[in-house]
Amino acid sequence: MSDDALTVDSESPGPDAELNRRAFLSSVTVAIGAIITAGLGIPAVAYIVGPALKKTEEDDWIAIGSTSKVELGTPTLFKAKVERQTGWITDENEISVYLLTEDGRDYIAMSNICTHLGCRVRWIEDQDQFFCPCHNAIFGKGGGVIEGPPPRPLDRYEVKVEEDTIYILGG
Amino acid sequence: MALRIGTWLDERLGWRRVWEALFLRKIPKVNWLYTLGSATLFVAVNQAVTGILLTIYYVPTPDQAHATVQFITNQVTAGWLIRGLHHYGASAMVILAALHMLRVIYHGAYKYPREITWFTGVALLLVVLGFGFTGYLLPWDQKAFWATTVGTRIAEVAPVVGEWILLLMRGGQELTGVTLARFYGVHVWALPAALVMILTVHIYLVFRIGISSAPGKDD
Repeated sequence: MSDDALTVDSESPGPDAELNRRAFLSSVTVAIGAIITAGLGIPAVAYIVGPALKKTEEDDWIAIGSTSKVELGTPTLFKAKVERQTGWITDENEISVYLLTEDGRDYIAMSNICTHLGCRVRWIEDQDQFFCPCHNAIFGKGGGVIEGPPPRPLDRYEVKVEEDTIYILGG
Repeated sequence: MALRIGTWLDERLGWRRVWEALFLRKIPKVNWLYTLGSATLFVAVNQAVTGILLTIYYVPTPDQAHATVQFITNQVTAGWLIRGLHHYGASAMVILAALHMLRVIYHGAYKYPREITWFTGVALLLVVLGFGFTGYLLPWDQKAFWATTVGTRIAEVAPVVGEWILLLMRGGQELTGVTLARFYGVHVWALPAALVMILTVHIYLVFRIGISSAPGKDD
């Protein structure tokens, strides 16, 4: 191709100029295509990922029950309704929490969700332990793992007591 | 490196010949009006991509449709952009397809041997209008509801089959959630399938026959 260019007179654009023009236009086309693809592609990824990264609100104190209803030395199940905004739907969720106090002053609030795979644990009164029916996991009174596959103790909530009402932090 | 990969693939796929046939083919002297078809295709791709993205959050039921559209517009990251592109793209689609058709009419480009390209083009215009009509109901707001009420009543005016068409479109006497669901189904399944099939023939013919040159004084 470059040999041909030598024979071309300078006034009309020769094969070489033609080739440069073609190469230029095709790289401009590719560049514009890349800009449009990125311009749509980046927002598209953000659009898909956005709601997945949104954190659920966990900074609300939720009134869970009265101190008078917690039995001394036995985990007691309390339920509370929380309003949750998930996507475009606002609905009421029920959260269940085991409250435990040994002295009526300090309270422990434990989630009833098994730390293994999310089944619900229940307190077995006469065996003095929590039992998860999915994979026969057993937790102690304070939530520690005694037997079975759970990787960690039952999750705890932060607790505060105001005027005989127990609040937990989160949702 | 890129060249070696290209050659490796070419030995197996023969893509270079396809590429040459599609993009390095001979074309007559043309002007910018000849880009209207490509422009329409470009917007069609935009509609497909943004439309698929919208279905990730949109729910076609009377109790949720409007809330999901508001959610997309106001809550989702870049949702306003995706919906905006789809919304304005819809108008651009109709305008560009119509201009493309006018260019073909003025140049007499629908004549032998391009009749089938023309017929499929007319079918594609009807598909595009179908997209516009069904898509307009989906935001499920007052404007959507009443536009479709009126639109289906216009169809009713047709002699003999009019009432039957109205019932078929609405899925009953009234415009309800049944109407919304079937408009959605037509918008995201039936029409895209029709578009892809007809467009394939349309574009195949453009490559096979080539485009016509602008007619001169003696044509």
